[in-house]
Amino acid sequence: MSYIVQTSRLTKTIGGKELVKDVELHIKKGEIYGFVGPNGAGKTTVMKMITNLWKPTQGEIELFGKTLTPQSYEMLRRMGSIIEFPRFYEHMSGYENLKLHREYMGYYQHGSIEKALDMLDLTSAADRPVKNYSLGMKERLGIARAILCKPELLILDEPTNGLDPAGMKQIRSLLRILCTEYGTTIMVSSHILSEIESIADTVGVIHRGRMRREIAMKEIEQMSLSYRELSVQHLEKASYVLTEKLGLTNFKVMDDGLIRIYDTAVSTQEIAKALALADVQVLAIGQKAETLEDYFMKLCAKSSAEMEKTC
Amino acid sequence: MLKLIKLEWKKNNIGKYVIKVIILAALITLFVYAMAYLGIANDPDTGVPDTAPGNEMISASIEMFTGMSFLILGGVMLSSFIISAYKNGTMGLMFSYPIKRQKILVSQMLAVWIFDFAALVLTKLLVYGCILAGSRFMTSSFPIDFDIADPGFYIVLFIRSAVTVSMAFIALYIGLAMKSSKAAIVTSFVLVFLTQGNISHFTLRHNAVFMSVLTFLSVAFAFLSVYKVEIRDFM
Repeated sequence: MSYIVQTSRLTKTIGGKELVKDVELHIKKGEIYGFVGPNGAGKTTVMKMITNLWKPTQGEIELFGKTLTPQSYEMLRRMGSIIEFPRFYEHMSGYENLKLHREYMGYYQHGSIEKALDMLDLTSAADRPVKNYSLGMKERLGIARAILCKPELLILDEPTNGLDPAGMKQIRSLLRILCTEYGTTIMVSSHILSEIESIADTVGVIHRGRMRREIAMKEIEQMSLSYRELSVQHLEKASYVLTEKLGLTNFKVMDDGLIRIYDTAVSTQEIAKALALADVQVLAIGQKAETLEDYFMKLCAKSSAEMEKTC
Repeated sequence: MLKLIKLEWKKNNIGKYVIKVIILAALITLFVYAMAYLGIANDPDTGVPDTAPGNEMISASIEMFTGMSFLILGGVMLSSFIISAYKNGTMGLMFSYPIKRQKILVSQMLAVWIFDFAALVLTKLLVYGCILAGSRFMTSSFPIDFDIADPGFYIVLFIRSAVTVSMAFIALYIGLAMKSSKAAIVTSFVLVFLTQGNISHFTLRHNAVFMSVLTFLSVAFAFLSVYKVEIRDFM
């Protein structure tokens, strides 16, 4: 498997406080990797180490097949990034900021600045000083700068902060375009799971500085996470019908009069018919799916419980 | 390196500093000229200059006023170019470029040093030139103790200017260590008092050992400012 980013036992300690520990992360070439976790989980710390702003206390980072060292400057040429909040020379215009970035990166493709500004709808504001930009405009300008030199790897730390819903949607579409049309590998962090869910190919969950799970979105979809939910009046009787009459075993009786059926062997019509024949009143029936958020909450709850046990 | 220095000047709006230096040079020239020819430093009773010990010659006043102004300017520029960049996060952006961190910092330090040195040398030449021009028509209250036809005059002028400007690196290091632009600027003022001030007859201005130690410290602090920057976390 070809990984563009790979970390091994990545640990960062500052002032005796362990910010992240033994993080194992694997990002495949050409994918969008969603890096999720609650605030303070260690997402930014990991991203700072990948972009070489912080140096690992222990462990190793491999980028583009080579180990990242403090002297790995050339690797930075192949990357674009926004860590925390994008910073600019505020007295300069958006256009001048991008031009300066291009000079430092040694990238001189004609028309690249205009294209990046256009992709982020900033053409009309290009000549205004950045100090007059709104928060959302600065965020978009930061993304324009990150993609300006067509990086192979894009690292974006909560890139939709400060954006309105339309802006968020625009960024999601842009990331998908970059990934599919330009083959850019994207690592994007967020604590808003619905945002990641719709664009990520793989999701890495970090909680309290520990990597909890890395999983492909396809896998989440196939993990029997979709189910049919029944709302019935007599739970015991309904359970009996599902087990004895329909031969179903993979279902869960919830506390609030609900039954979740994960088994797909029997159709919804057959279930409704069997329950009706047994005189079980069905109040509601529908197809549902666990969201990434449900999955994430479960993982976090599990890891919190584990940590409390070890403490 | 030259390209990096030019980019530093560009992004820090060097034109703004050029205007400030022109105003500063004009004010110093006017002030020293007024001291020499308009008698503003003269004692009203005796009519002779009321000067501190060691400042009896006109060159001492020129060196003092230009030196203190440009040492402070150097401290202010270094804090704006480097310390503020650390504080407002743009240094993090610089460290995301495929350029060695030491090279980035050295280019920033050189951008300030070259500008400050050139400005100081030109200002000194302007003041010396104006004083000399004035001496053709008026009598100076202070003895004129320099000879611009002497190559030694230029050698001393260049060396003194380089030493003065380099001292700003001490201010830079302290500002970086304390993560404070104010600390850097205050340090520049302290250096001005140490190098230009006097208490009664006591002054360190002409103390060769003290000046040599400060010059050595300037170089050492410049080195320390970039030492191990490659392996330090950007905070």
